[in-house]
Amino acid sequence: MNKFLLIGGLVAATSLSTAASADMLDDIISSGTLRCAITLDFPPMGMRDENNEPAGFDVDYCNDLADALGVTAEIVDTPFPERIPALMSGRVDVGVASTSDTLERAKTVGMSIPYYAFENAVVGNEDAAMESWEDMKGKTIGATAGTYEAIWIEGQIEEWGEGELRPYQTQADVFLALSQGQIDATVSTVEVAEANVNSGNFPGLVIVDKAPMVPDYVALFTMRQEYGLLNYLDLFVNQQVRTGRYAELYAKWIGEGEPADLTIQNVYR
Amino acid sequence: MFSYTFQWNQALARLPQMLEGALVTMQVAIMSMVLGILIAIILTGFRLSGNKFLNAVAVTWIEIARNTPALFQIYMAHFGVASFGIHFSPFMSLLIGITFNNAGYLSENFRGALKAIPETQTRSARSLGMPPIMAFRTVVLPQMLRISFLPMTNQMVWAVLMTSLGVTVSMNADLYGVTQDLNALTFRTFELFAIAGVIFYIIVKVINLGARLIAARLFRY
Repeated sequence: MNKFLLIGGLVAATSLSTAASADMLDDIISSGTLRCAITLDFPPMGMRDENNEPAGFDVDYCNDLADALGVTAEIVDTPFPERIPALMSGRVDVGVASTSDTLERAKTVGMSIPYYAFENAVVGNEDAAMESWEDMKGKTIGATAGTYEAIWIEGQIEEWGEGELRPYQTQADVFLALSQGQIDATVSTVEVAEANVNSGNFPGLVIVDKAPMVPDYVALFTMRQEYGLLNYLDLFVNQQVRTGRYAELYAKWIGEGEPADLTIQNVYR
Repeated sequence: MFSYTFQWNQALARLPQMLEGALVTMQVAIMSMVLGILIAIILTGFRLSGNKFLNAVAVTWIEIARNTPALFQIYMAHFGVASFGIHFSPFMSLLIGITFNNAGYLSENFRGALKAIPETQTRSARSLGMPPIMAFRTVVLPQMLRISFLPMTNQMVWAVLMTSLGVTVSMNADLYGVTQDLNALTFRTFELFAIAGVIFYIIVKVINLGARLIAARLFRY
């Protein structure tokens, strides 16, 4: 009798532990769907095309990841401030949302190796008559709330001891305020700056200078404890680089020029 | 599905900044109420004046304030008027937006309160020789404010909660703005917003309690 109990117990324990050890990577594969948090308010990385369908670098990147996993991709439009709630409440599996990999944030979520790197530019209103990025000193500067560049310029303003930061909720609001002259300048990624200045939607804007900041490396993110998935993401990012898909997506969405070098010297090309 | 380790100390370390934000929130709410009450009294006067133009001004104000989202009103106070070259700081835009909203709602409260005061009182006051303004100020106004005191408390609570809409016009000094800034910095979304929620709750509780104490003192029959 005792033997049966023991065996029964063992079987039960094994089946339980199997269920518990299925990690997120397994869950994604068995569910057949990869749900990506993507910010569709951040062209050219995430946006909607003329048919209102999600498009952009991040969207293609998510689709590539889903292909690699052999599942279908589901794009979940996630504004910047909602990335963490979306992940933690299980609405998405992975964030492909141009997320800067700061050490402060990595205490909360798990970051992959960088899959893209932004350079930032200073865009000014013509009336502000700025020559270089240092002319931002003492001015009213706008930025998209919660972005790497907003955090950088906030620190810079603190260091200068003068000036004011206006963190708007969306990129569009920043450029609207800038063209209205409510703010004198903004710091945004070169990609976004060029797209907006050339769009003709916002008259009176000029790209003043490059912002002298460490390139904004952005990472894929998922739950911090999901090592299996995080390992997979790291390898996937590098595979994108070494197969040339990264350069291809850059050419498709950003255009001319060279993408930031994301190779790992003497290890991975 | 929900697996997350709450790290309260990470968020509580930011509590002083959030409390500073709460002070700004209170500042905006109180200023918007004081201004709102003054404007509401004027608007109510406009409606009672019998002057068609003044009445139209008051009705337009009240209709817009009550029938459009507060978010829209605040957004217009920032981006809307800016297209005419008028620039308000985020603080001012938020204050103007909420004051506009308060004035509209309070004016309707006042009108309701006035209806509850028998007109015979004004007539009695007038028959005692009081000029119209004096009759209004000493007889009607105190009763009007008393009757609409509790609705005013509601509006005050509403004003506090509306300050959270300031983030849309880049306000980052109030409680909600500070919380959102800290969220971007640390990604401690749940802890930070839970703390912000508790602070909002306490503020509202204090307002309600304070209002009850004031009412008990002022309105003893």
